[in-house]
Amino acid sequence: MVEIDPTEHEIADLGPKVNGVDDIEELEAMLELEREGPDRDPVKTLIESRIETLEAEAGGDEAAVDPAEVDPAELSLAEFANMVRDVDDVDLLRDLIERERDGEDRDGAITQIENRIEAIEGTEQDEDDEGPEYVPPEEKHPDLDHPTADKTYVEGVSGETYRDMWVYCETQRGELVDASKEILGKARELMDGYADRYGDEEDVIAVLIGDDVADLAEEAIAYGADRAVYHDDERLDRFRHKPYTEIYAHMCRDFEATWRDYHEPRYNVFPATHNGRDLSALVQAELDSGLASDCSDLYIEEAMISNPAKTGTPGDSEEFERVLHMPRPDFSGFEYSTILCIDKPHRDFHPQGASVIPGTFDLPDPDPEREGEVVEHDLDLPDDWFQVEVVEYDRLEEGVDLTGHDVIVALGRGIGDDPTEGIELGLDLVGAFDDAALGLSRGVITASYEFASHVEDYISEERQIGESGQVVEPEVYIAAGISGAVQHKVGMDESDTIIAVNEDPEADIRGFSDYFVEGDLFEVLPRLTAAIEEGGSVAAMEGVADD
Amino acid sequence: MTDADAAGAAETADHEHYEAVVVGAGPGGAAAAAALARQDVETLVLERGVDAGSKNVSGGLIYAEESAPYTIDGLFPDFREAASERPVDEYYIHNVAGDRVKTFDLDRVHHHDTDWCDSVLRRRMDSWLAERVHELTRETGGGLLTEVRVNGLLRENGEIVGVTCDEIDPIRADLIVAADGVNSELARDAGLMDWDDPDDWFQGVKAVVDMDPDVVNDRFDVDPDGGAAHLFSGDLFEGVRGGGFLYTNEDSLSIGTVFHLDSLTAERAEPHELLDGLLTHPLLDRWLQGEYEEREYSAKLVPDSKKVAHPSPHRGRLLLVGDAAGQMQAQGPIIKGMNHAVTAGGLAAEAFVEARTRGDASKAGELYERKLREEGVMEKLRPRRYRASRAVSENDAVNRLGSALIDSPLGAAGLRAAEGLAERAFNSPLLLGMVPDTRFSYVTVPSRIAEVLGEPIEERSYADSSDDADDEDGVRPPDLADRIGDLTYDVGDPHIELLDESYEASGAAVTACPVSAEAFGGGCYRDERIQTNGEEKRVVSLDTQPCIECGTCAVVADTEWEHPSGGKGVEFKEG
Repeated sequence: MVEIDPTEHEIADLGPKVNGVDDIEELEAMLELEREGPDRDPVKTLIESRIETLEAEAGGDEAAVDPAEVDPAELSLAEFANMVRDVDDVDLLRDLIERERDGEDRDGAITQIENRIEAIEGTEQDEDDEGPEYVPPEEKHPDLDHPTADKTYVEGVSGETYRDMWVYCETQRGELVDASKEILGKARELMDGYADRYGDEEDVIAVLIGDDVADLAEEAIAYGADRAVYHDDERLDRFRHKPYTEIYAHMCRDFEATWRDYHEPRYNVFPATHNGRDLSALVQAELDSGLASDCSDLYIEEAMISNPAKTGTPGDSEEFERVLHMPRPDFSGFEYSTILCIDKPHRDFHPQGASVIPGTFDLPDPDPEREGEVVEHDLDLPDDWFQVEVVEYDRLEEGVDLTGHDVIVALGRGIGDDPTEGIELGLDLVGAFDDAALGLSRGVITASYEFASHVEDYISEERQIGESGQVVEPEVYIAAGISGAVQHKVGMDESDTIIAVNEDPEADIRGFSDYFVEGDLFEVLPRLTAAIEEGGSVAAMEGVADD
Repeated sequence: MTDADAAGAAETADHEHYEAVVVGAGPGGAAAAAALARQDVETLVLERGVDAGSKNVSGGLIYAEESAPYTIDGLFPDFREAASERPVDEYYIHNVAGDRVKTFDLDRVHHHDTDWCDSVLRRRMDSWLAERVHELTRETGGGLLTEVRVNGLLRENGEIVGVTCDEIDPIRADLIVAADGVNSELARDAGLMDWDDPDDWFQGVKAVVDMDPDVVNDRFDVDPDGGAAHLFSGDLFEGVRGGGFLYTNEDSLSIGTVFHLDSLTAERAEPHELLDGLLTHPLLDRWLQGEYEEREYSAKLVPDSKKVAHPSPHRGRLLLVGDAAGQMQAQGPIIKGMNHAVTAGGLAAEAFVEARTRGDASKAGELYERKLREEGVMEKLRPRRYRASRAVSENDAVNRLGSALIDSPLGAAGLRAAEGLAERAFNSPLLLGMVPDTRFSYVTVPSRIAEVLGEPIEERSYADSSDDADDEDGVRPPDLADRIGDLTYDVGDPHIELLDESYEASGAAVTACPVSAEAFGGGCYRDERIQTNGEEKRVVSLDTQPCIECGTCAVVADTEWEHPSGGKGVEFKEG
């Protein structure tokens, strides 16, 4: 079995999943599943190109030329250029020049190497130099507006210390939302890898803001945080932009706090929920950094950057370390962009911020034994942060759940002669069972039937059974006046016993019913109801069916 | 955006801009995009289907005309090997009356001006084209995006400057090519086309029928790399004006019927039953031989270019090509659409590039219109001969007179004497260009030809296949519920709104809609009676779930008609 079954996923979220698989055989198996299943071309292309990449990597290692050994004359200029691009050792490059001069002595090849040497040495020299002279933007461009000029943190902050991965733990009705738990799990994994790779132990910090969230702080630790910082205030009962943003930003710059000794967080990660999206944008703007929204993966790696805005000197490449890579779908998942948030001379871009689409990472199992520190954040909240008042709120209805009942009575367009009476008869039958519910075919819901007001509320898509509605598998499914189109069938044919009532003996439903009662539902349903009320069992219905 | 500078910066107020946006990845859009990309025009192609071709249906023959400035294989060199089904070099018409049939060989009209002609299935064809188009347009900085539905025109100060979409932000462009098909929402937004008159449209329904390649070769007596086309006319269709077709594909047959929408509506005929009438006709049994496995049922609206091919298909930066501009030539047995779309696409691209070179891209529309005329496209689509003869020949009195004449013994004698002449008439592009659109030419003449000249259809001997139960009644096509069931998909929110649910206003859709029928509860349009305060009202109700997006109800019922959003709605696998 494969770990990721492509047929269970949308194309948009398969991209990062597939690119995380390194086993070619597993990919082949996934490809096979897709072919047998929905056979979506983009998915196949995705998997195939991953296989190609892996094969190229595997093959490439064998075929790779060793610049220390190779005779440059054997390589075309293009091959030569490719090889040179990966060499960082200046001595080796100088040696290569010698070998080229002794051999073919191609100007193109020598220029390639010289450029490469310049790129590398240029970078190294920069470290000795002061770099470009810093001119504050107000002086450099006196003709422009400088709306951020009075902000302390925009220009001139550079080379500060940043540590830890902060995770915003959103709460709903007194519980941590799953999306935050998922991110805590991922943050744990990332920071463990970080420690292995860089030898620095940095922490996962959970941030909780709300009313009575201290207990949840403990839970955040169980899900992977090393430390949970929380701010409790009854006025924070519901999410409000101003106080939440101010508190979060203050936590990030709480230089008084004893547990921390750094300038700002290294990374800030938010769930891309409705509230998380709002908060992430506000907080990252307040901290004068950037935000990659709606990410579909996260990883930490170095990045080679040649953009002079970042390196300070045109033509140089510089390696940035510990960069949070934030891939996100563009064009509805048609393409992926990886967003990096990188410092530039005289200005830092920290915290590196991301919001993550809920469901991107697996929900981790909590470890109640995990130890961590819970810190209460201390700040007086001025009243004018609470000028917006929440006067009323409502939760969306969860709707009618037809699954899990012993019996479903479903009505179709056979009720058309008298729709109101049809629904009444259906409800009577439902009432005759201990645990039954009323379902409808799509044909009834989309009809122009006029129902009397006392049954009107039942006519909603929430009761629809079938392909675009609910799928049910009760012990007994009674389909009255339903012809049994395939769209309806897929919603009910796993039921244990199917009883159909229909005037048309040719109706498709007969083919997949256990009992078929040929007759008018307006006559049959009342008799069924009476039989159930008397006998109270399916056996009683068989009597009716045999009539 | 690759770094925080950009990510953090405020979005620019201006919308994304491309030099050209092509809406729809059918043959017209593909041709336009390829021709634009070859001229280094930055081109973005937007397609609403999950895959190009998934929304597209045609009868299934694509022509390359010798006189055409652009052909599909000229623009896409490996087209015939990679994307088409079979070359079709045999072309017949069968005139049917009861059990008598008279067959004419239409070799001459088929090969007139024809470089080649292939049968095609649109999913395969269009998705192949789309891959080429994506490669070509990507070079220019554009590309092809699927699952994006363009829902209207972006205007500034009343001027068209781009398109708006369901899924992505509006896009500005110097050229907008509307190749969005017969139900073009852009053409309607621009006021260039309407959905008012059933008289302007045909409706086609089609079944793709599975058949092993060897069996195709054998039963149609064609080479493995050859194929045949058969047309059917006469009294097969309960007097509804139209005809049938059968084309051989690689390992399937495309069998369909095409009717004048006004006639279909007036007769309250059920399109799927008319198709079944053809499928179960003894004439077809010679090829089907009691075996029938339907892969897909589909339908589409077909513009009648004689009436609706727009003589000036542009407005500002917007140029219409193909079905969107009504460029579908259906004149008797001459049925050509895709080739004209390809030509129009090429000419639209050419016009834009020339106009830009001359320093005024806004002249592209006028230039396009002139090219359509000068290259002879408009004359093929709207022959002057037809315009001249229509007033007389579609007049009812003249029709009755014609019918009376041809039914008389004298008329029959004339037909017999002139048997060769009749066949020649069917082969004359000149005469066909003036064929009147009446019952007379569709039904009366072919029936009379069959009655007088025809021979009984040879019944297949059942002796050697008597164990096959289906054989008794020939083939048995699936019923409508099963056909719809095989086309299941997520339509998303209802995309058609029924404005007037009264039977008088919208009842015609119950029969004319190819996935609805009288007394059938599983279709789009259902005939219902409701009781209000003791009074009974006859109304129709609409469920867009089974919709196959043909557009018929937009013409015959009172609706607000839109396409579903990108990636939603019907997905044709064959097309």
